[in-house]
Amino acid sequence: MTGEIDPFTVEVIRNSLTAIAEEMSLVVMRSARSPLLREAGDLSSALTDATGELIAQGRDIPVHVGVMCATVREFLKRVPQGRLAPGDVWFLNLPEIGGNHLPDVKAVRPIFSNGRLEAFAVSLAHWADIGGARPGSYVPDATDAWQEGVRISPVRLFTAEGPDREKLDFLLANLRGPEEREGDILAQMAATRAADERLTALFARYGAATLRKTTAALHDASEAQMRAALAELPRGTYEGEDWLDDDGIIDRPVAVRVKIDLAGESATFDFSASDDAVQGPLNTTPFATAASVFYAVKAIAGPDIQPNGGCYRPLTIKTRPGSLLDPPHDRPVVGGNHETTQRIVDAIFLALAPIVPERLSAGGPTTSGLLLFSGRDPRTNRWTTLYEVHGGGEGARCDRDGASVVRVHMSNVMNTPAEVIEAEYPIRIERQTLRRGSGGKGGHRGGDGQVREYRILAPEMRLTTMFERRVVPPYGLCGGAPGAPFRATLVRRSGEEVVLPGKTHVVLYEGDRVVLESCGGGGYGAPSARAI
Amino acid sequence: MTGAWQVGVDIGGTFTDVIAVDATTGAVRAAKVRTAVGDPLASIDGALSAVHLSWVEMTDLMHGTTMATNAIVEDKLAPVVLVCTEGFSDTLAIARQNRRELYRLDVPPKLPPLVPDDRRLEVEGRLDSEGREIRPLSQDSVDTAIRRVKELGAEAVAVTFLHSYANPDHEEAFAAALDGHVPHIALSHRMNPEAREYARMSATVLNAALMPLTAGYLDRLLGRASNRTRIHLFHSAGGMASPDAIRGQPLALALSGPAAGVAASSRVAGALNLPKVISFDMGGTTTDVCLITDATVQISSERSLAGRPIRQPMVAVESIGAGGGSIARLEHGAIRVGPDSAGAEPGPACYGLGGEKPTVTDANLVLGYLSDTRPLGGTVRIQSAAARAAIAPIATRFGISIEAAARGIHRVANANMMRALRRVTVEHGVDARDCALLAFGGAGPMHAVELARELGISRVVVPQFSSMFSALGCLSADLSYAQQQTVRMPSEAWDDHRLEGLRRTLLDRLSLPLVSAGYALGQLNVEHVAGIRYAGQSYAVEIPCSAPLDVHRLEVDFKARHQRLYGFATDEPWELQSLRLRVSAPPRRALNGMKSQAGRTAHEPMGESLCSFGGLQPVRTPRFDRDGLEVDRRIAGPAVIEDDWSTIVVNPGAAAWADAHGHLHIDVGAAE
Repeated sequence: MTGEIDPFTVEVIRNSLTAIAEEMSLVVMRSARSPLLREAGDLSSALTDATGELIAQGRDIPVHVGVMCATVREFLKRVPQGRLAPGDVWFLNLPEIGGNHLPDVKAVRPIFSNGRLEAFAVSLAHWADIGGARPGSYVPDATDAWQEGVRISPVRLFTAEGPDREKLDFLLANLRGPEEREGDILAQMAATRAADERLTALFARYGAATLRKTTAALHDASEAQMRAALAELPRGTYEGEDWLDDDGIIDRPVAVRVKIDLAGESATFDFSASDDAVQGPLNTTPFATAASVFYAVKAIAGPDIQPNGGCYRPLTIKTRPGSLLDPPHDRPVVGGNHETTQRIVDAIFLALAPIVPERLSAGGPTTSGLLLFSGRDPRTNRWTTLYEVHGGGEGARCDRDGASVVRVHMSNVMNTPAEVIEAEYPIRIERQTLRRGSGGKGGHRGGDGQVREYRILAPEMRLTTMFERRVVPPYGLCGGAPGAPFRATLVRRSGEEVVLPGKTHVVLYEGDRVVLESCGGGGYGAPSARAI
Repeated sequence: MTGAWQVGVDIGGTFTDVIAVDATTGAVRAAKVRTAVGDPLASIDGALSAVHLSWVEMTDLMHGTTMATNAIVEDKLAPVVLVCTEGFSDTLAIARQNRRELYRLDVPPKLPPLVPDDRRLEVEGRLDSEGREIRPLSQDSVDTAIRRVKELGAEAVAVTFLHSYANPDHEEAFAAALDGHVPHIALSHRMNPEAREYARMSATVLNAALMPLTAGYLDRLLGRASNRTRIHLFHSAGGMASPDAIRGQPLALALSGPAAGVAASSRVAGALNLPKVISFDMGGTTTDVCLITDATVQISSERSLAGRPIRQPMVAVESIGAGGGSIARLEHGAIRVGPDSAGAEPGPACYGLGGEKPTVTDANLVLGYLSDTRPLGGTVRIQSAAARAAIAPIATRFGISIEAAARGIHRVANANMMRALRRVTVEHGVDARDCALLAFGGAGPMHAVELARELGISRVVVPQFSSMFSALGCLSADLSYAQQQTVRMPSEAWDDHRLEGLRRTLLDRLSLPLVSAGYALGQLNVEHVAGIRYAGQSYAVEIPCSAPLDVHRLEVDFKARHQRLYGFATDEPWELQSLRLRVSAPPRRALNGMKSQAGRTAHEPMGESLCSFGGLQPVRTPRFDRDGLEVDRRIAGPAVIEDDWSTIVVNPGAAAWADAHGHLHIDVGAAE
């Protein structure tokens, strides 16, 4: 067959590619060990072409899939094609190589057809520990990149012959819970292997040339859709800013600023005016920044556009070297991944609020709301780490109230059931309730947040907090009121109460309780406009 | 006149199928009638009169129903009062805090809770994860809750206390206090004795919400039936349950419809000695696919329906919203098929009932597979001109012939099917090439050969009664009950005594309705499935096993299975996460004595038509009447084989023959 690929074949192959990416995520979720992967699904999968352009993704986490658009491209700058061989699986987590933060480790497998490199399978998974200064690898007071954990430059852990035991052992020797981590590594390897088998079958069925033409056609189609979607937005330049509570080191808000230039079928997002890089772990990478822009544009302009490399061609993203969103490589970034990226989305929403408010939702729980408990379980004498994220009230929209207790925008990680927590950790959940009245008032009300109370049953545990929206509350839109901010309270066994900062580390003792109240969503429209 | 008829009835959304066998003579009658929407009894009456039977002639009525499924999907559920452990009544509203759509801001991210705020109550009393009491059940708070239940005038109450799967005492005590105050009570440890409070709560509430509807229906059904008719209902795990058991656990009907087809498939797989079979049931709006290994259906307990967790053992069917009625449309220069469906009304354009959009069925008519001269079921006449007119805009857009566009729609529909077929095979570590494809439902046998080729499958089987196969499933299934229980036993701290205690309790609960029905314990067949995972994993690997459960045997089997599924296994500690039991009565009858009504005389084509199979020109294709096929005589493709309700396409390069039991076999060969 010569020339164009017929549209039916394109659709058949598109279906097959998406199915492969979805299958990869399933393999990791079923076989991984980190609770975050298996209970909460903090993982993503992607396929790229030989140059690293995204061709398919699973139904995963937006910050991950956005970052993975860059991972392989940057990887290839460090590892030339000639060093890649069939059966290889390379691992990496360096933020500066198409990355976001150290716990999100990417497994990259080159896939060949007739000796020619044709594609990559990428499995990204959040490891419960990546080494560093504190268990769970969240160091709220980190001031440099090395305190955050093991920095994995691209390393080939598997070849066609099997695992490279020396490298694997070297890596595991630097991590807490090496058995659990090895389980995660094997799960990611298994996911890329599944992708290799499926893609090889596709190449055999259709031929590599047809697949190349098909993915090119898919990229062009997504690009055309995105250009058409952008053209619907009013041309012009719009500015927006939102604020992080603090960077974990210095107690003052940090600005994220964007200038958006909508030029018909293309758009530029310039973040140069954002604050300088901070000392604490709230910096993030240009790749994570791009992921935030991709998310926001897709949510506002084209939710149904097939996500792939072509979809994002009409977008230009500028960050200023040395700034919060393009920091020097020695700066810590662990919290920036899910706090600062969310603030980028907020800034974009606020910039566009004057022109397309009906497409937006008001401010919501744009934070992970993270509590990280770790300690030895007296029942088993094993070290345990509970990484728990907390959703809050969704911001209201022009046509409906916000939902209560939900994750928004860049993340979609689930909670861990109380019955699982109590069985696997020395913690009792005293209550999990709606935080009634926390949603902002408005013509449509913001959703309510939640209250969850944790009682410590071990002689001693550690708690790390990493959450936002404690000082700067979720905004209302078009006259709606802001939602109630986050609050975490430590109630000592003695009855003494301490309100906890959003980025801190404390020692807990048996009988202490931690009460987490997540934020409510912002309202939409003036409260007086509310229909009875 | 009395008879000894055993009757299987499957009440579907559009059609009700019935197959009746006379146990003494082996005579068989079958029919398909339109479903009386909203009135299952009328549907049964209609089906019975179509096979000329009255209620008094039946010894057994076995039926599958979408009543529970529809009530959940259409959200027509009875109001429920939910009673929870203090501090946990909002669990239903919090759910798992994730949103359904990643990029859609306009749609609500979560479903509203099944029980509103003011109907969710709490009582004091607390257990830990091992079932030990931390705080006793407070009598005061129990009294207050019961007062409130009465004030609310509740018809159904769901009770879900934390960790009740490990110790049911608090739930039992509350139920005892509530007894007599409310007609329907669902206790979570009986509905679903598994950890994870939101899912268990959701399943318990759904059970409670289905109880009034189900009880009302069963009362009317039993009132209608004669004293000599035994009535059984088909449940989601692929077996029959008594009306009393269903009354207590109506959620077991959630997948009643698809499960019956799967059960019939496993029966055919066993009869034909096919070790691995994929059942492929392609109807008008949905397609159900399931893997059957050694005539045993895969069971899953982690399914959702309409976005709600169900957590009952159910046949591991993959359902996709695509079938013969799925609409093809142009979208951004590409062709998409489904998920919108023309349904039964207006139906595909070719039905001439007002549908104008092109469907898969229209494509199959243009391709010559369906015939516009043989009316469907002798009544629905389909029109080629309407099908061509519906597809013409797509052909024009791409500058291709209407036949080429129809081929394209057919292929894209196949690509949708492929995803479901892959999910039940490769994603479970099963090589599809080792399987046979068992195709049924109105549209399945038209797509089966091409799908089989795509998957590397060499054999397609279109079973006898392929267009009313679920009714056959009802007729052929055994009485059985299944449930899964959380165990949580580490390999390093194995406790045979505790395990046997848990197993016994579960066994007694599941055997009870069978013993009440007159079966002796020794007659019952008990199957065990252990859910095992490495310490630190969440998803258990399912290991079939037998009592007494042997720790060493389980370890060997688990590691081998893990290696096969995920390509690795380690020597780390593991945990018995759950135990599932299925208890079944001995088989009641053999359908093998069933006489086929086929004449098997003429083996001549009834005629021929022009069919397109992807080549440049349509080819002359003979058409055969399925009932007239001679046993074991091969028909080389291209050919079309028809009966009243379904059409079987034998592509060029394939060959088909009928066996003595009325099943049709196709060697798919290779595309020419």
